Amino acid sequence: MEQNAQLLREMAAKAGAETWEDRKKNQTPQCKFGEDGICCRICSMGPCRITPKASKGICGADAHAIAGRNYVRFIAGGTAAHSDHGREIAHVLHVSSRDGNYIIKDEQKLLRLAKEWGVATEDRDIYEVAHEVAEIGLMEYGKPFGTLRYLERATEERQKLWEELDIAPRAIDREIATVMHMTHMGCTADAEALVMQGMRTGLSDGWGGSMMGTEFSDILFGTPTPIETEADLGVLEKDMVNIIIHGHDPAMSEMIVAASNQSDIIDYAKSKGARGVNIAGLCCTANEITMRHGVKMAGNFLQQEGAILTGAVELIVVDVQCIFPSLGPLTKCFHTKFVTTSDITRIPGSEFIKFDPITALDQARDIVKMAIDNYQNRGSNICIPQTKQKAVVGYSCEAIIKRLDTVTNSHVDELGTYKPLVECLESGVLRGAVGIVGCNNPKVRTDYSHIEIIKELIANDIIVVTTGCSAQAAAKAGLMQKEAKELCGAGLKRVCELADIPPVLHMGSCVDISRILMLVTGISKAWNVDIAKLPIVGCAPEWMSEKAVSIANYVVASGIDTYLGIEPQVKGSAQMMELITEGTRKMVGAGFIINTDPHKLVKSMIEGIEAKRTALGI
Amino acid sequence: MTLIDRVFRGSDEMYELAVKATQEALDKFGADKAVSFPETAYSLPCLYSFTAKKITTLGELSAALEDIKAMMTRERRVKDVFSTGIATALSAEVIEAIKYVMEDNPYTGDYCGHLSDAQIRELGVPLVTKDIPGVAVLIGPAPSDEEAAKIIRDYQSKGIIVFLVGGIIQQAVRSGVNMNFKVRILPLGEDLSAVAHVISVALRAALIFGNVPAGDYEGMCKYTFERIFAFVNAYAPLSDMTVACGGGAIALGFPVITNETENIWRIPKSLIVQENTEAFVETSLEARDIKIKITKVDVPLCLAPAFEGEIIRRGDMQIQIDGSKNNCFELAMAKDLTEIEDHKIVLDGPDFDAIPEGGEMSMGIIVEVGGKAMQSDFEPVFERKFHNYLNCLEGVMHTGQRDMIRIRVSKAAYAAGFRAKHIGEVLYAKLKNDFESVIDKCQVTIVTDPDKVKELRFNLANPAYDKRDERLKSLTDENVDKFYSCILCQSFSPSHVCIVTPERLGLCGAVSWLDAKATNELDPNGPCGVVTKGGLIDERVGKWEDVNQSIRELSHGALDAVTLYSIMEDPMTSCGCFECICGIEPFSNGVIIVNREHGGMTPLGMTFAEMASMTGGGVQTPGFMGHGKHFIGSKKFMKAEGGVARIVWMPKHLKELTATRLNATAKELYGIDNFVDMIGDETITEDAEALLNFLTEKGHPVLGMEPMM
Repeated sequence: MEQNAQLLREMAAKAGAETWEDRKKNQTPQCKFGEDGICCRICSMGPCRITPKASKGICGADAHAIAGRNYVRFIAGGTAAHSDHGREIAHVLHVSSRDGNYIIKDEQKLLRLAKEWGVATEDRDIYEVAHEVAEIGLMEYGKPFGTLRYLERATEERQKLWEELDIAPRAIDREIATVMHMTHMGCTADAEALVMQGMRTGLSDGWGGSMMGTEFSDILFGTPTPIETEADLGVLEKDMVNIIIHGHDPAMSEMIVAASNQSDIIDYAKSKGARGVNIAGLCCTANEITMRHGVKMAGNFLQQEGAILTGAVELIVVDVQCIFPSLGPLTKCFHTKFVTTSDITRIPGSEFIKFDPITALDQARDIVKMAIDNYQNRGSNICIPQTKQKAVVGYSCEAIIKRLDTVTNSHVDELGTYKPLVECLESGVLRGAVGIVGCNNPKVRTDYSHIEIIKELIANDIIVVTTGCSAQAAAKAGLMQKEAKELCGAGLKRVCELADIPPVLHMGSCVDISRILMLVTGISKAWNVDIAKLPIVGCAPEWMSEKAVSIANYVVASGIDTYLGIEPQVKGSAQMMELITEGTRKMVGAGFIINTDPHKLVKSMIEGIEAKRTALGI
Repeated sequence: MTLIDRVFRGSDEMYELAVKATQEALDKFGADKAVSFPETAYSLPCLYSFTAKKITTLGELSAALEDIKAMMTRERRVKDVFSTGIATALSAEVIEAIKYVMEDNPYTGDYCGHLSDAQIRELGVPLVTKDIPGVAVLIGPAPSDEEAAKIIRDYQSKGIIVFLVGGIIQQAVRSGVNMNFKVRILPLGEDLSAVAHVISVALRAALIFGNVPAGDYEGMCKYTFERIFAFVNAYAPLSDMTVACGGGAIALGFPVITNETENIWRIPKSLIVQENTEAFVETSLEARDIKIKITKVDVPLCLAPAFEGEIIRRGDMQIQIDGSKNNCFELAMAKDLTEIEDHKIVLDGPDFDAIPEGGEMSMGIIVEVGGKAMQSDFEPVFERKFHNYLNCLEGVMHTGQRDMIRIRVSKAAYAAGFRAKHIGEVLYAKLKNDFESVIDKCQVTIVTDPDKVKELRFNLANPAYDKRDERLKSLTDENVDKFYSCILCQSFSPSHVCIVTPERLGLCGAVSWLDAKATNELDPNGPCGVVTKGGLIDERVGKWEDVNQSIRELSHGALDAVTLYSIMEDPMTSCGCFECICGIEPFSNGVIIVNREHGGMTPLGMTFAEMASMTGGGVQTPGFMGHGKHFIGSKKFMKAEGGVARIVWMPKHLKELTATRLNATAKELYGIDNFVDMIGDETITEDAEALLNFLTEKGHPVLGMEPMM
C-alpha cells in the first residue's frame, strides 16, 4: 500500500501534478476556530468567533449555539445529498418502461413495496405500479402533513420513542428547510433543540431518502446477491480501455456498464488496438455497480487521484458527491478525459454531458466511445500498481437471510428470518456485530483505521458489515474473501464456515446504510430486544463528509452507539460535546464515542459490546 | 448463567473428578504404575492427539492433568469454549483410564468401554464409502425404554453406527436391543466420562486415516469437522458436565441435538433444541448434512436399467395415460424446505383399479423438491429424469415429456400389485439418490381426478413450462457471463468436447445451457465445467481465448481451437450422438441438414449415416458439423457464414419441426417471410441440380451470398 502510494507520488512528480497530499500540507495548520466549530458566518455582522476574551458573537450567540448551528447545518448538507440521490433514482423509476433504458429488474421487491404503501397491484401493468410507487416516493420529499412512510418499518419501541421526543421526521425537504430556518440569524440558540432537530433530519435521511435510494435502486437494477469481484488499483488493465466510474448515483453507470458489454463497442475498442473495455469503479458508484455486476473496484475516496496518476485511464465519468474538483487540472496532466453528468456536480475542466434517463444508453455509448477514441492518446509512461485482492460482495438483507436459511434446521426452525443470527449473538458464538462505514480522511493514515479496527473485531468473534469507502478498504485488504475466516476468532470462523460467508459483509454504498438499519431492526424484532440494548454498534473511523454526520445521527437516533475516529467539529462547546456523546444517550439510548486512536477506539467498542451483553445477562 | 459459564463449570467438575480419581490411584498404586487402554498404539488417544504425549504411568498421567488445566482457558470467547470443551473430554479420558488401572477389565457384561485400533481400522472403509453414513452418540436416558429402542433401531436401520452413554444403555437392554460391534451398536458405559471412548474413535481416525500429527489442535478439529459425520443426541435434563462435553463435541464439528429447554441456548447447526424427541433422527441427520441412500424402493416390480427399452404393446396393456388424449402432465417444482414433508406420497383421485383393463386415465405427476442448495433452474433437469426412472420399471413404459407424456402399465405389472402411488415411490427414491447433494426433501402427488388434472395442467403446469421457456429465450450468448463445456460423451469419443451456450445447445440435443449450468452446480467435478468468456478473439466466428483454453485441456491436447459460430473455420467437433448433421452443398453454396431419423438419400448423394461417418469421433472436418435440432433456429447457426440463410435442404419432417423458430429467425435477420418454404426437402428433390433450380425459382437468399470456400 505504502509502496503503491510512493509509485504514484513519483508519477505525480513526473507529470507535475498536485495531489491531496500536497494540498493537505498547504492547508496545515488548519483553522482552529473552524475545527472547534466556533466560527459563525451565518450573518454579515460577522464573521464572529469565540475566544477567551470574546465568549459571545455580536448577536450574543455563545459557543454552544454557534457550534450547534454549524453542526446541524452539516447534517442538513448530508441529508440533502443522500436524499437528493434517492430522489433522482425515484425519477428514473418514474420513467422506467418495458422497452426503455430502465426496466424493472426486481418485480417482487416492487410488489412488496407497493403493498406496503397501499398501491393496487391486481391486474395492473407492472410499470403502472412502478410509476405510482415512484410518485408516492417523490411525495415523501414535500408532503405537507404526516411523518415518513418508512418509519413504520422501525420497531414499535423506536417509533414510540421518536413520537414522544417529537423527532419523527416529516417530509424530507421540510426537515432540511427547518434546519436552515432554525439556524438563521436570530433563531434557535438552544444547543439541545439543535441536536434534536439534527437527529430528526438525520432520520429523514436514513428512514427516508437513503432508504428510498436503496429500495428503488434494487427495484430498477436488481437486489444484490453474493458475487465475486476484485479491488484496488491493480484492477486497471494495461492493454484495455480503462474507464473509471465515480460518484454515488448508479443510474448513469448502469448504462456505461451495459454499453461496454455491447459487441459493437467491444469491436470498436479492438479496432483501436485495445483488448477490450475495462470498467472500474471508485467510491459508492463502484459499490453499487460491483454489488450487482461484479464490476471491479479501483478504490475508495482518497484513491481517486491515484487512479488518474496511473496514466492508464482513458476516461473518468462522474455523477454526484465526493468528486475532487482537482480532477479537472489533474486529468489535464494526462490524456484522461473527464466527464461530468449531473447538474449537481459541475466541475471546471470537465466535459458536461447531462444525464437523461430516456437516452442514457446512447449517452453511455457515446461516453464509452469517447474513451475508446482516447486509447491511442495514452502516454507511454503508465504505472499500474499490481496490487489487488479478491472479494465476495453483494450482501443485501435478502442475501443475508438467504445465507442464514442454509444453517436452519427444517425440523425446528422457520425460514426467512434473522433468528439464526440472533441465536449466534445470544449464545455468545458471536459477541456482537458492528457496522463499519464512512469515508477516508487525510487527518489519519488512509484505510489504516478501517483495517485495524475490522481485524481486531473479527478476531474477537464480532461480525462486521460495511458500506461505502470502508467496504472498499476491507476489500482491498482481502477481508472480504472467504479465506479471511482464518483471521477470525473460533466462533466467527465457524459461522463463516457453516454459512459460507466472509467475516466482513459488503452491504453496499453509503445510502445502503439503510440496509444496515433494516438488518438491525430485523434482529431487534426477531430477538424482541430494543436496538439500544443489542450488542450491535456502528463505527465511522475515517469519516469526513456531511453525509457521514447525517448518517451518524440517524444511526444514533435508531438506538445504535456510534464510534467515531474523527472528532465532530463542536469541540469548542462543552455542552455540544456532552450532548452528542451522553446527551443523546439519555434521549434515544445511544450516542457518540470518540477516539482518534483506532486501537483505543476498537477497544472501547469491544468493551461497549461486552457491557451490553452483561446488561442483557448473556 | 450463560452457556459459556455452564461449559466452564461443567469442565471444572469433570476436571475435579479426574484429579480425584488420579489421586486415588496414585495413593493406591504409586506413580510408576502402568497406565494404558487395551489394544491401541496411541496410549490415551485423546490426550495423545491433543498433547502429543504418550502416557505410560500414573505419574505421567498426573502431570498431564496440568496440560489439561492449561487448555481450560477462561476468556469468554468460543475458542475458550472449544478448548475447555475438549479439555473436558480429556478429563473424561483420564477418568476412564483410571478405571483400567483400578481393574483389569472394567467394562464387562452390557458395556464395551474402550474400542481397539483394529475395530477403528475396520470402520474406516465403510465410513469412507458412506456405507456407514454417520455416527450417532446418544447420551441419556431417553424418555422411555420403548423410545430408546426405537431411536437406536432407527439409526441402525439407516446404517448409522450408534454409541450409547448413560441410562439409555439399560433401557436398550430392557428392550432387548442386541448390542455389539458387529451390529454397530456400542454401549460405551454408564458414566458420562465414557464419551471419551467415542471421541477417542474420532481422533484415532484423524491419526490413522487423516495422518494428522499428534498435538495439532487445529488439524484434529478440522479433520473431524470435515470428515467424521458424527452428532450427539443428549436427552434432558443436561448436567453442566454434559454441556461441557457438548462444547467439545461442537469444537470437533459434531452438532448436539437435545430436548433440554431450560438454561440452554440455540446455536444454528451446532446446538439444536428439538423438543420432540421422536424427531431426533431427522433433525440430527439434517444438522450434520447426512443423506441416507435409499437402497430399497417400495415397488412390487423390478427396477433396473435393463428394462429401459422395454415396449408395452397395446394388447399387453392394463392401463394407458396418454397426454395426446387426456389431460396429463409431469412437473418438478422447487419448494421451500418447510413446505415439504419428506417421502410424502399422495394419490389424489382414483387408482388403476377403477379403470377397466386396457382403459385410459388422466394423470398429473407433481414432484416437489426442496434443499438448501436448491435452485428453480434445476427443475427441468429433475423432470427429464422421470422418463429414465419410470422406464426402468419392469412392465412400465414412459415416453414424452411435460404435458405430452404417455405411460403404459402392463397387465403383468398390474397383477404384481403396481399402483399409481408406486410411481411416486420410484421418483422419490431415484431423485433423492441421484441428487442427494441438492434434494434434502421430496414429496410426490399423483393426481388422477380428471377435473383436477385439467385444472392443474392449465393453471400450474403450463405456466411453469412457459416460465422456463421464457427464461431460456431471454438468455443470449452475449448476456451470460459464462459458457459450459460438456464431456459426457468422452466415454466413447475421448477427444470430443461440446461448448454449450444459451444459443447453441449440445449436439445431442439434450443439454441446453441451463441444463449444463445445473449439471455443473449439482456436481462441479462432473461432466459439465464452467468456461469463462474472457479473451474474445473474433466475435464473428465466435472465438474466445478461454474457450480454446478449455478445449485444449478437455480434449487432452487433441484440439487447439474451436469457433462456436462457424462450420468452416475450426468448427466444433462431433462425438457420434448428434441429432443432426449439416454439410456443404457446393452447387448452391449452401448447406443441407439431415436428422438422424431420416433414412433416405440427400442432394449430396450421401445418407445421414454416410455423412455422419465424415465427421464424428471428435475430429474437425470443415464443412461438416454435428449439432442439435434446436440449434437450427438459432441466430448463431453458421453466423460466420451468414446464418440460417445458408440452409437449402432438410427432410420434410425436420422442416416442420423447426419451421416456427427458423421462420422467426429469418424474419429477424433478413426480413424474409416464410423462409422455410424456400428450403428443399425429399418430396421436392434429392438431386443437386434440381435443388438449385428450385432455389432459383423460390429466390432463396443463398444464391446472392459470398462463396463459402
